Formats: sequence, structure tokens, C-alpha cells
Amino acid sequence: MTMLGDRQQLAYIASQAADARVNVELETEGMTLNIGPQHPATHGTLRIIARLDGEQVVWAEPSAGYMHRGYEKLTEVRTFPQVTALVNRIDWLGSFANEVPFILAAEKLMGVEAPDRAQHIRTILFELSRIANVSLFLGDLGVQLGAITPVFFAFRDREYVLNLIEGATGGRFHPNFDRIGGLKDDLPAGFIDETRVVMKKLRTFCDQIEDLLFGNEIFQSRTRGIGVIPKDVALSYGLSGANLRASGVDWDLRRDQDIPMAWNKTDFKVITHPDGDSFARCWVRLQEVRESTKIVDQLLDTIPAGPVMAKVPKIIKVPEGEAWVSTENPLGEMGYYVVSQGDQGPFRVKIRSASFNNISIVPWLLKGVYVPDIITILASLYFILGDIDR
Amino acid sequence: MGLVDRGRLPKPLTSLFNMGRSYSLWVYQWGLACCAIEMGAAFGSPRYDVMRLGVIPLPASPRQADLVVISGTVTDKMAPAIKRLYEQMPEPKYVISMGSCANCGGPYWDSYSVTKGVDQIIPVDVYVPGCPPRPEALLEGIVLLQQRIKNEDMGARWRGEGTKSMHIVDGESAEKGGVPVVVNN
Amino acid sequence: MRETELARILEALGANVVDSLLKPNDDMWIRVTAESWRATAETLKTLGFTYFGYVSAIDWLPSPFGKSEDDASGPSGDRDSTIKQGYTGGDTRFQVIARLVQPFTTIGINIKVDVDDAVMAVDSWSSVFAGANWHERETHEMFGIGFNGHPDLRNMYLPTDFEGHPMRKDFPLLARIVKPWPGIVDVEPLPGDDEEEGEAS
Repeated sequence: MTMLGDRQQLAYIASQAADARVNVELETEGMTLNIGPQHPATHGTLRIIARLDGEQVVWAEPSAGYMHRGYEKLTEVRTFPQVTALVNRIDWLGSFANEVPFILAAEKLMGVEAPDRAQHIRTILFELSRIANVSLFLGDLGVQLGAITPVFFAFRDREYVLNLIEGATGGRFHPNFDRIGGLKDDLPAGFIDETRVVMKKLRTFCDQIEDLLFGNEIFQSRTRGIGVIPKDVALSYGLSGANLRASGVDWDLRRDQDIPMAWNKTDFKVITHPDGDSFARCWVRLQEVRESTKIVDQLLDTIPAGPVMAKVPKIIKVPEGEAWVSTENPLGEMGYYVVSQGDQGPFRVKIRSASFNNISIVPWLLKGVYVPDIITILASLYFILGDIDR
Repeated sequence: MGLVDRGRLPKPLTSLFNMGRSYSLWVYQWGLACCAIEMGAAFGSPRYDVMRLGVIPLPASPRQADLVVISGTVTDKMAPAIKRLYEQMPEPKYVISMGSCANCGGPYWDSYSVTKGVDQIIPVDVYVPGCPPRPEALLEGIVLLQQRIKNEDMGARWRGEGTKSMHIVDGESAEKGGVPVVVNN
Repeated sequence: MRETELARILEALGANVVDSLLKPNDDMWIRVTAESWRATAETLKTLGFTYFGYVSAIDWLPSPFGKSEDDASGPSGDRDSTIKQGYTGGDTRFQVIARLVQPFTTIGINIKVDVDDAVMAVDSWSSVFAGANWHERETHEMFGIGFNGHPDLRNMYLPTDFEGHPMRKDFPLLARIVKPWPGIVDVEPLPGDDEEEGEAS
């Protein structure tokens, strides 16, 4: 109880007082509400079991596992290229971003580094995946709160980005484009000009969403002050990405880490917000999409010439060792701990997915909130079921 | 309607009813995984608009739907929920299995927690292959389903014999209007 | 930077560290004793490693069912079953591995601990790092490793009546045993290119 915010505490006391005044002889029972696993408001098959006292949540727990496909076991019987194809489908909205840390870990073990052009193009596709992912979040945010129009904007603008990714890699999502040592292929002709046009359209989209949603009085009153996460709690739960930066932690793995990707050649702002409530999380993500478009523009201007694939043997056997690589994925920090024993496939892959940690805070966070706020908090925390359940 | 279950509904009238049914399908979206995003793009985005085929993605509950599109991986933990929601749909109902995970287990064919195909739990009418299938592929699946419905024998369905074509010639299903009708007899 | 950090950590933990490894321009590993598992977490938290990465486990037994490119129905007599641990060594089949990170500097440390086969349990970190709660539940159901002091150790992903611990190497993937993977051989050549990139991609 001491961990509840002021607003929640006041609400609880007020409700107890109201109960005491009116229902002196009335015995009330709590009710168990089961949200999901099939529910239009959850991003997939997440089931939340909530014990309610009237309209307030006394205890809530997410029950994951409805999309558990056994990734870590499957990677043990596949070769490295097969695992790359499989791993795309963890965070299924921004899928190129899932391949990159795995391939970087494998390259670390092999001791090869992709050529500069490949690193550059990887970063461009990574940022495009981030834009595709978060723009759908912005549209879905409206749907969770009851505003249906933004999602059509989101799907329409997402189509432009998916067309770009499809033009370069052949797949709208699940591109499966990364290879150990570089990329499968070079960029097609006309990609650079087309991407510049699309980035302008996405900046317009961000402005439209800001107009439609963020200034709206209902949106503000539904998200301000809801689901406040203090800084130290966020760190001890392992929250990452925009959730952490919305609580005031100025930490971004693109800027603060030294891995063979092209982020250190660009100039971008890391956006934080001191409040830590749902509005902060949504707002930080909106600004991050804008920053991403600027990153892509800078990268397009400076793509170096050269090969896109380093010299690696045809049948790749990765030498023994262990490696950890994590990157700033659209959902948060995603990392792979790859253990290899000299075979064509990994011995053990531990997939550290961002949404697992992000959702582990939900039992603590949902104590004392009202039922509609459950949906608001889940929407602002933003998870993908494939990321939670792997 | 007494005519339907006694099988005495004349063919032109059946064709008329079937046409009406096939052009006003209400889809219950069962979006599980990545295919759900492509299904959302087909249903919700202005480019691959599905409403122009007469399919409306708006039912609030399975009891108001006639078509369910299972898109995404079916796990063993989720399977009872799928069976229950399928049984809540009123007849006549159709199932489209979208994506390779729902068709046969897909890339997770050897996993310990994945059901190898949703047809192990519920009967499927149309399989749409792909990983994920493009929204146009899903639209083609819906068009094939509409053709199937147009050729369907309502009397057989009412009697509980499942989906049967109206046009049976010498025990074999025939073509109607130059279009082959694929049914399982 | 990493060398000084590792030196600080080794000094603070003292005799609890069994082995350590620092790969230049890469990462740090330490292996601690099982009794000091929770104390290690508390010490590292005071040294600035306040960001919780993950807790999981590794089963070092080579799979008795072979890898995908072998034929699983072949004779298993000649398959090597010696247990060989990775970085910082080890003495047992199971090891619990965790990662903690210093925010802002992004210096992370991988911490391993041996899990004795007879005991099959280590202390829980959920009182030190709240995020460890879910991770330990998942490790418990996947490997069968107990966590002493965990408030609520039940299944995370699998149905409650699931038998077995899937991530152990001796848990078979039945679909592969019923019909073994035919191998990475393209039966038909792709149209256009015959023997080009078909295998490495």
C-alpha cells in the first residue's frame, strides 16, 4: 500500500469512505474479471486476471503463455541461417530489428565484421522497422482509448514504410535479410529517393497524430497521472526503451554502446520525460518516431560505397564461445546470449526480450487503479505478445 | 423453413439465398500473431479494403459472426479457447485458416507447445498459405470462400452433412459457370 | 574502463568468485559460489549495477538426439556426451546465468553459478531485484531448478499439467523423432540458378 501513488491512495480512501457511509450493513464481494486471451484491446493473446472491488482493482496478474512457441528450444536444432529466419517473428511488427542482435552476436563469435556499407544499410532498415512498429502503436493507442480514426492513418502510413522494406528485402515484414557477414543483397535502384519522400510523409503523420490524439482533452485526462513508475522501480524491474526514458532515465543503447552499427555516425536527440506516467510514455514514443525519420535522412546522405557481404565460407560453422549483444529495439532492449560449441547451429540461445520485463511490472502497477485504466496502462507500456512469450 | 430441411428448395432459390449470404459475411477476427497484422491491414487499411467484397469485420461477439479467420500460431494452451469460441458461433459458419502456422504448424512444426494446424481442432474451409500471406492473398481466400458458398447445398447443411455442393453430377462435384468448385465430399 | 570495474567487483566479492573472465572490447563474466548467489546480487547493486537484465539457465549436456543436420535416427552410441562448460568453467550440468548492467555507462556483467545436481536449487533474487520474479518462474518451469525464497513459483508459460521440463537437453522434440529432418539438401534446383546460394542462405 505504501507504494501506491497519491492519486490512487486518495481514490482508495474515498471509495472506502463512500462504502462506509452507504453500505453499513451491505456485504460486498470482490469479483474476478478475466480480460482476454481473446480481446480486441490486448495486443494479442494476453490474459489478465483482475480481482475487483467495485470498479477498483485489488490484485491483477497477467497470465502469459498463450503464444509460447518454444523459441529457445527450437534454436538448438536449427542452423544459424535458419535461426535468423525464425527469430524475425518474435517482435512481429518491427521484424528486421530482431535479426540484428543475433547476427551481431554470431559475427562476434566468428570474429568477422560486416563491411561499412552493410552496417549502414542495416541501420537504415533497423530504423525503418522502428518507424513501422511505433507508428502502429500510435494508431492502436487511439483504439485502446476509444478513438477509432487514428488507426486508419497508422495503417495507411505504415504501408509506405512496408513498401520500402519490401522493395529492399522482398518481404513486407519478416524480411530475413541479414546474414552473418553482411546482408543478402544490395539496395535496389531508387530506394534512396523513395525513402526520402516517405520520411516526409511520416513526419506529416506524426503531426496528424499529435493533432488528433495528444491535444485531446479526453486523452490527456485519461493518461496524465495514470500508472506512474518511479525511476528506481523501473531499473529494478528491467524496464527498457521508451518506458525507461519516460521515467527520466537518460539512457539509450544506440548512443551509449559501441557496436558495429552506424548510429555513432549520426546525430540524434535522446528524449526523456520526467513524469513517468502513461502520457509520458506515449509522448516519448511519438518524439522517437520523429527522431528516427531524421536519423534515416542523415544515413541516406552518407551511405558509403563498397561490398555488402564480407568473405565468409559457404557453410558457416561458428567457433566455440559465448557472446551477448543487445540493441535498442522498438520495444526496448532486446539481447541475445549465444552459446556456440563449434557446430553449424547454436548450442543455446537465451533471448532477452524487452516486453517480458516490461509486463512483469504490471502486477505491481495495477494495484488500486480503475478498470478502464488497466487498458490505458497496458496500451502505454506497449508490448507485443511474441516478445513476451517467445 | 420447412423447404430447406426437407431438401425441396429449388436450385434458383438456393442460388439466390447463397448469393445473399456470401456477400454479407460478418467476420470474427481471431488475430493471434503476425498474421493478425496482415489481417488488420486487409480489414482496416484503406488500400486492401475488405468491405468492398461485402465482408464486414465488425461483430462484437462470436454469436453474431458467420466467418472466423484464424490468423497466427495456435498453441496448446490457446486451443480450448478456440474450440469454445467456434462452438459459440451459430450455423452456418465458415473457417478460414490464414498463414502457415494455422495451416500446419508452420515454422514451429517441431515445437512442444504448438498445435500443428488449427484443423486439428475445428473444421476448416479455406487455407490461405503464406508467412504471412499478403493481404491480397487473404482477399483471394475470401473470394474462394464466397464461390464455395454460392455453390452450397443449403439442405445438406441443415441436415448436418456439412458443406456440400449443389452441383453433383454422377457423384462427382461439377463446374458451375466455368468455375471449378472445390469441395470435400 | 572495464578492467577497473572488474577489479572493483572482484575486490568487493572476494572469495565468493570462483573464476572470472574479461574479453577485451567485449564483455565480463564471473562465476560465483552457490551460497553467495544472493549476496553477489546485493553487492553488485551497491556497486552501481542497478539495471536488471535477465536470469536464466544453461544445460551443458550435449543433446542425445543430435543436431538438425545429423540424422536423429542414426546410432546414438557414437555421439559424444561429455559435458563441457563454456566461459569461466563449471562443474555441474546446469548453470544459472544472470546479467546485470550499469545504466548510463552500459557496462554489463554476466554472472554464472553452478547448480548442484542433487540440490537443484539456488537462492532467489526477487527480494533484491523485483524483475527476477518472472524470470525465475520461467527458469523453474523450463529447467526444473528451484529458487529458495521465491514468493510464488508456478508455471509461467506452460499449462499447469504439463509434464517435464522442456529446455533440458534430454527432453525430445517429438515431431523430429517421428519424422527426421531430411537435411539441408535442396531436392530440386531452384529455377534459374542451379548450385548457387541455395545452401548458405
